[in-house]
Amino acid sequence: MKTLSLQPLTRVEGHGRVEMTVQTGRLTAVRLVITESPRLFEALLLGRSWQEVPALVSRICAICSGVHRVAAASALESALGIDIPPLARRVRELLLLGGHIESHALHLFCLTLPDIAGTESILELLRACDPRAREGLALKGLGNHIQELAGGRVIHPVNVEVGGVVRLPPREKLEALLAELEEWSGRLPPLVEGFADRRGYPPATPALGTRIAVDCDDFLLTGRSLRFSDGRVVAGERYGEVLEERAVPWSNTKHSRTAGVPLLAGALARLENAAGRALAPVLPEPSAAGIHGNNLAQGLELIWALREARRLVRELLAGDADAAVMVAVRAGAGVGTCVIEAPRGLLIHHYALDDQGRVAAADILTPTAINQAAIEAQLLADLQGVTDESVLIERAGRIVRAYDPCISCSVHVLKG
Amino acid sequence: MKKLRLAYVRFTSCCGCQLTLLNCEEQLAAIDAVAEVVAFDMASSRPDDGGPLDAVLVEGSISRPEELVELLRLRRRAEILVAVGACALTGGVNVLAHGDRIELCEGVYGECAREKLTFPPQPLCRFVRVDLQVAGCPPERSEHLQLLGALARGGLPALPEYAVCMECRQRENLCLLLEAKQPCLGPVTRAGCNALCPSFGAICEGCRGPVTEANRAEESRLLLGLGLSEREVRARLERFSGASHEDP
Repeated sequence: MKTLSLQPLTRVEGHGRVEMTVQTGRLTAVRLVITESPRLFEALLLGRSWQEVPALVSRICAICSGVHRVAAASALESALGIDIPPLARRVRELLLLGGHIESHALHLFCLTLPDIAGTESILELLRACDPRAREGLALKGLGNHIQELAGGRVIHPVNVEVGGVVRLPPREKLEALLAELEEWSGRLPPLVEGFADRRGYPPATPALGTRIAVDCDDFLLTGRSLRFSDGRVVAGERYGEVLEERAVPWSNTKHSRTAGVPLLAGALARLENAAGRALAPVLPEPSAAGIHGNNLAQGLELIWALREARRLVRELLAGDADAAVMVAVRAGAGVGTCVIEAPRGLLIHHYALDDQGRVAAADILTPTAINQAAIEAQLLADLQGVTDESVLIERAGRIVRAYDPCISCSVHVLKG
Repeated sequence: MKKLRLAYVRFTSCCGCQLTLLNCEEQLAAIDAVAEVVAFDMASSRPDDGGPLDAVLVEGSISRPEELVELLRLRRRAEILVAVGACALTGGVNVLAHGDRIELCEGVYGECAREKLTFPPQPLCRFVRVDLQVAGCPPERSEHLQLLGALARGGLPALPEYAVCMECRQRENLCLLLEAKQPCLGPVTRAGCNALCPSFGAICEGCRGPVTEANRAEESRLLLGLGLSEREVRARLERFSGASHEDP
């Protein structure tokens, strides 16, 4: 028996390794070992005022800081029985789309494209004047520009508070953004087309895991329920009954399952679950590239996200610039849950407040934690027939990367 | 000009400092032209050759034995070690979890907690000589570019030693603390962000850490005057000051 180790994981966010057990030349077991240190956000939030929560939880992860902040504010608003003004909701949606665009562009062009091109990093692609790298970075910059405008800051945005948003983006900047978005509509489809090409990916078995995503009538990032690919639709606040979390000795991230089966969250799961819904991008041949199809799913979501961003900017421009974007908040007791789609999959925030509005309990489930069991199962399924050790190591890295894991999110570590 | 042999390494943190460098989308090619990126796991699969480094940028706090070993190794390899961001400078928000760490970990992992060897997050200066501290949660793109530009020319950038208020006044913003009556931490927070958040209309939450000789007593008095409780004032002032380390 021999253990092969892929260490460190590169071109992913966070620290971890893959351990592969090989017996008589055959892969028999795989472990995804997340070594990232727990930062104990639950303990850190307990006893703190509701006002402090959004800024603190955005620090769970930089790439997902916008969606964490929106999720926390929404869960707390639900706990306090607050409805935010419609324009504030639109600003938040725009922030989420900016995060989606930045994160997907980062994953596709900075982290995945080097695999397809057979290089070590985007720096080599830039040196070779690869037009995809240049365009991909420009698209990533567009996502950041949107986050800056809607969030006030690229990372750890400051515009979202419980009760609404601090301010509307200035009109002239929205107009400039609209022009920029329109200019992109023709540029984007050929750019993401490359991720549809099956030849860019290693051989794969169909993607494993029960798909899980936020359920809504259209295709949106927010909703009230969870939809499973086995047909179940469950109210968001009942997530604890259907997601079984357990600690495993080898990883600092907890494993999630539903009915004993690993779960798959992310762009691929979202598009498969939303098949037939209005606005939902259509996936061709869903299983052909296995989990690597998640890259194409992200590409299709980019086209969707830019279209949605155009709609939102137009709606914001049509809105009353003097309308209130924040409502007064009366602190008190309550329990609230938010289910939302982060770029890399389902994110859940849940809080209980005491009668002074202080955090009495907090629970956060992140997409990478949800996916962890499926990643291990997929590694074993895809690599079982591979005997060459260097191929095993190379492909293991590509499979893990296909999930677009966000490891510091996964080890945020709140009590399950 | 000889290329700068550079590593960007991350320990316990949110990845925001490293992401900020990747957010310099338009300057990445120029950075590549002046620096040989020896190690930057988040962006590159190039294996670290283990050789000497002109400079290492370190994001994050130290909370695992392996991180400490790696930090000491980097210090030996690098001419210049730069602590980047709140976690590296003070431990950042990671230090805010009060209580016994073993009990806290058991609350999360149950019996598996004993397998996980971690300790309360510590700033880099607890273990190694730090040549420069770049503040912020995270530091801005412009600060990353200034840092790399200075390093490439064999120097270090000059960092402001005054409060965010100075920059805010230069930008002629409405004072959020005195005029808008909001709990802004600009007066006690070190500058360098060009008063980013107050210029947007949002209070400074102090993410760059305390300015030298910060008048915390006066700031506390003003915040109490706005109706915040003593507990809330303390919580806001300690968010990025690493206070739980200094006052256990």
